[in-house]
Amino acid sequence: MWLGAFSGARAALAAPAIAMAATFIAFGTAVREAGLSAGWALAAAWGIYGMPGQLIVLQAVATGGGIAAAVMGAVAVNSRFLPMAVALSPWLRRRERDPLPLLAAPFVSITPWAAAMRALPGEPVPARLPWFLGFALTSWLLGGGAAVAGHMLAGGFPAPVRDALVFANPLYFALLMAADLTRPGPRRGLIAGALAAPLALLLPPAWGLLCAGLLGGSIAFLIGRARG
Amino acid sequence: MADADLALVLTGGACLALRLAGLLLAGRLRADHPFIAWAASVAQATLAAFVTLAVVAPSGALAALPLQARLTGLAVGIAAFFALRQRLLPALLIGLAALLLVR
Repeated sequence: MWLGAFSGARAALAAPAIAMAATFIAFGTAVREAGLSAGWALAAAWGIYGMPGQLIVLQAVATGGGIAAAVMGAVAVNSRFLPMAVALSPWLRRRERDPLPLLAAPFVSITPWAAAMRALPGEPVPARLPWFLGFALTSWLLGGGAAVAGHMLAGGFPAPVRDALVFANPLYFALLMAADLTRPGPRRGLIAGALAAPLALLLPPAWGLLCAGLLGGSIAFLIGRARG
Repeated sequence: MADADLALVLTGGACLALRLAGLLLAGRLRADHPFIAWAASVAQATLAAFVTLAVVAPSGALAALPLQARLTGLAVGIAAFFALRQRLLPALLIGLAALLLVR
């Protein structure tokens, strides 16, 4: 068991963690600029642990958009956690009615999810949950630390570094997905989602992304079924 | 409790509920069940839509970067990713460098 956890933790301490840390540094910087504390940055990084949602709460709070708008927008943009958890669940169970995978709940997020969906099928069943927890806890701790570091360093970055940090998050997400472009199933979902994105511009911001994802994802799923 | 703190607590609670619901909902379904495949497809599509919007029609700090720079950063980053046999970190740095050159 410990071996699985260790191997997961070691897998987390690689490129994905550094790339993810860059996006959390950018988040910490933005929190400081909004006049909120380092504690708030840490609580958001650990409690929400999903960058698009974190950014939306921050933006809504900083511009006085109101609590309801902040929460609804952030939850809608992070609503992918539900289908992600569904897709991950079978890989974390060791037997029928296994309650332990619920321990993984706080860590279901893009970095651990993308890594786990690729690595877990190749791991022996008893090692899968420890692997995921080892990976997820490591990147979760790193993300929180990077957010606090970003808060402390805010203002000290020259303009090019700030611009690069701001763009690091979407580019990081894009590269995590690019790895999936070589597999037909995920590729269909990704292309359909990108094509459905304009729909989000027509709908209220809080729900647009969710609707685009549901529509694009369902169409991709149906096409996949039709092709067998 | 300040508004910012309350918004944070509510969002964190709702996100945890979404994750728990997903894990519980999958229940005893096997990895090859159609519902699991549909959920994975929706998750991928949502992520792709998020990235598309962040690059093409962003809000906040991203909007301050020119569209041309954002598109170049994305295209060069992805091209580098495949040219370098899918190595994430160098691809990220090359993409960001391209963004800064065009900015």
